[in-house]
Amino acid sequence: MAEDRRVFRERQFKQYKSDVKKRGKPFYPYVMLHDSIMSLMVVGVIVALATIWKWTTPGDHTGIVMHDGVASTEGTSGWLGKLNDDPADPGTISFTPRPDWYFYFLFYLLRIFKWPESVILGTIGIPTICVLLLIAIPFLDTRAERRPLHRPVAMVTGVLVIFSMGMMTYRGATAKESLGSELLGKVPVWAQKEGFATNPKAVAGAKLFAVAGCMNCHVYLGSGASNLGAPELTTEGAQHRGILFQVEHLKCPSCVTKGSPMPAFASQGQANLTLLAEFLEASQGPK
Amino acid sequence: MSNQRSKYEHLMYPVDWLEERSGLVGGIKYFLFRKVPGDVNWFQTLGAATLTAFLVQATTGVMLAMYYKPDAKSAYPSIEHITNDLFAGWLVRGMHRWGASVFIILMFMHMGRVFLFGAYKYPRELTWIVGVILVALGLAEGFTGYLLPWDQTAYWATTVGININGTAPFLGPFIAQFLQGGEFINADTLSRFYAIHMLLLPAMIAGLIGLHLYLVIRLGVTSPPWSKEAAGGSNDSEPGADEETHG
Ligand code: HEC
Ligand code: HEM
Repeated sequence: MAEDRRVFRERQFKQYKSDVKKRGKPFYPYVMLHDSIMSLMVVGVIVALATIWKWTTPGDHTGIVMHDGVASTEGTSGWLGKLNDDPADPGTISFTPRPDWYFYFLFYLLRIFKWPESVILGTIGIPTICVLLLIAIPFLDTRAERRPLHRPVAMVTGVLVIFSMGMMTYRGATAKESLGSELLGKVPVWAQKEGFATNPKAVAGAKLFAVAGCMNCHVYLGSGASNLGAPELTTEGAQHRGILFQVEHLKCPSCVTKGSPMPAFASQGQANLTLLAEFLEASQGPK
Repeated sequence: MSNQRSKYEHLMYPVDWLEERSGLVGGIKYFLFRKVPGDVNWFQTLGAATLTAFLVQATTGVMLAMYYKPDAKSAYPSIEHITNDLFAGWLVRGMHRWGASVFIILMFMHMGRVFLFGAYKYPRELTWIVGVILVALGLAEGFTGYLLPWDQTAYWATTVGININGTAPFLGPFIAQFLQGGEFINADTLSRFYAIHMLLLPAMIAGLIGLHLYLVIRLGVTSPPWSKEAAGGSNDSEPGADEETHG
């Protein structure tokens, strides 16, 4: 049976070769012409994108504006986004960890999986499985049949894969990142709900927490986004981890919790980290 | 006629000289005049389109490399200089940046067409596998290039990206350490990403594209699956095909 099939497909390929030789057309000029037209269109689209990117940038199209003598990129998004973001600043306190669009589906997967049990599945597991499955396709599907309508399983799987990739890319693209300034307004409410309004260090820590980008990954009292499977921090203090632990963890999360994808905040400095730790320890859940 | 030929024969000397030593002319002739099925269709230009997008990336990338400075202090200003001061710098940078997305989209579209046409089947399995590796390398190229402008988005997306690599079992932490060149993302990270982005990965991709095209030429391109001609498919029925509905 398997033998039959091998003989069959070898014969079929030989037939193909001789048919092409007899009745095919030469690559040049026919295919070459089509390939060249297509390639010119590709270059045209790329040039058009570059042009739109540059020339829809507001102002003098440099992507830089002066605010009180300080260079800034604020409000310089054209149709295709900014020419430059602000320069990298490891000591920054507000950021959006946004990958390029073709990683949005992965980014979105990370919101579905929860730390730590399944986050590895979402990050390394799923992409690896995808690559292995793709490589396996020719070995799983060994029939010679190529007509789409006669390959229902392949076609349905293909459509489902394209649909879910598209969906996850869309969801990843439209996922709302909370803005530091909006969150800052919530600090008094947090302080009152969690009962640390009388602890000035914790309140200062809460303000840092709101603007430091923590809430791109962590949820606190219903605000923020759950990302990379980061735990909700509303009741972090109830575990009584202690200031020392919190500071060490913030300085280098992966040194304390093996494999943690949380970025290191050592650049914030000891004083700020202590304030953050005070806030975390004071967060013992709504009273 | 024969008179004419001898009159212009000396024009062919360099070509003959090259052919005698390298056989290249014969190779090119074989490439250009090889037969393809009579009914190949527009979808089958997507591979060439992907190749073009890659060549655009290679060309604009070399131009950018002439002005880009891969260290933490000068990376950002050098990108700004390219965008705003150099003649057509914005065009080169813009083409490289948006070309990356076009390249990735075309690669997926080409893959989709190969899947739809069942062109990954015997004897083209290896062509497909090389293609899958090209997708993975293409995405890695996107990941490493994203850091190079050294702006906020770049810096923090990469921080998280590296940390995610670090969560992989076994090799994860080593990969993360290697990418970063230290415990944290730092100035060494940038030069490492730069070397990977402009030397290691492009060389691998170019080599694999070469292999991919060699296989395509050796095996010949398929004709559309609905083709009546045997040059396309065959109207013979396949042994055992009736018993299976999958595929
Ligand atoms: C990129 C996503 C991300 C960001 C940004 C982030 N975290 Fe985390 N955080 C995580 C993940 C994932 C974990 C779970 C792994 C761990 O414990 O390190 C975590 C865990 C924690 C924990 C629990 C530690 C424990 O074991 O009890 C605390 C507290 C915490 N983060 C505080 C913060 C603070 C404060 C900030 C902002 C300065 C912040 N995080 C920013 C992803 C993030
Ligand atoms: C750098 C990326 C790539 C380049 C430059 C490239 C280039 C090409 C070209 C020029 C062809 C012949 C014309 C055509 O069929 O369009 C081709 C065919 C093919 N490609 Fe690719 N390709 C790339 C990626 C991929 C990927 C990602 C896959 C799938 C995983 C793939 C699988 C195939 C197969 C199986 C064929 C043979 C198709 C046939 O004979 O009909 N390629 N490729």
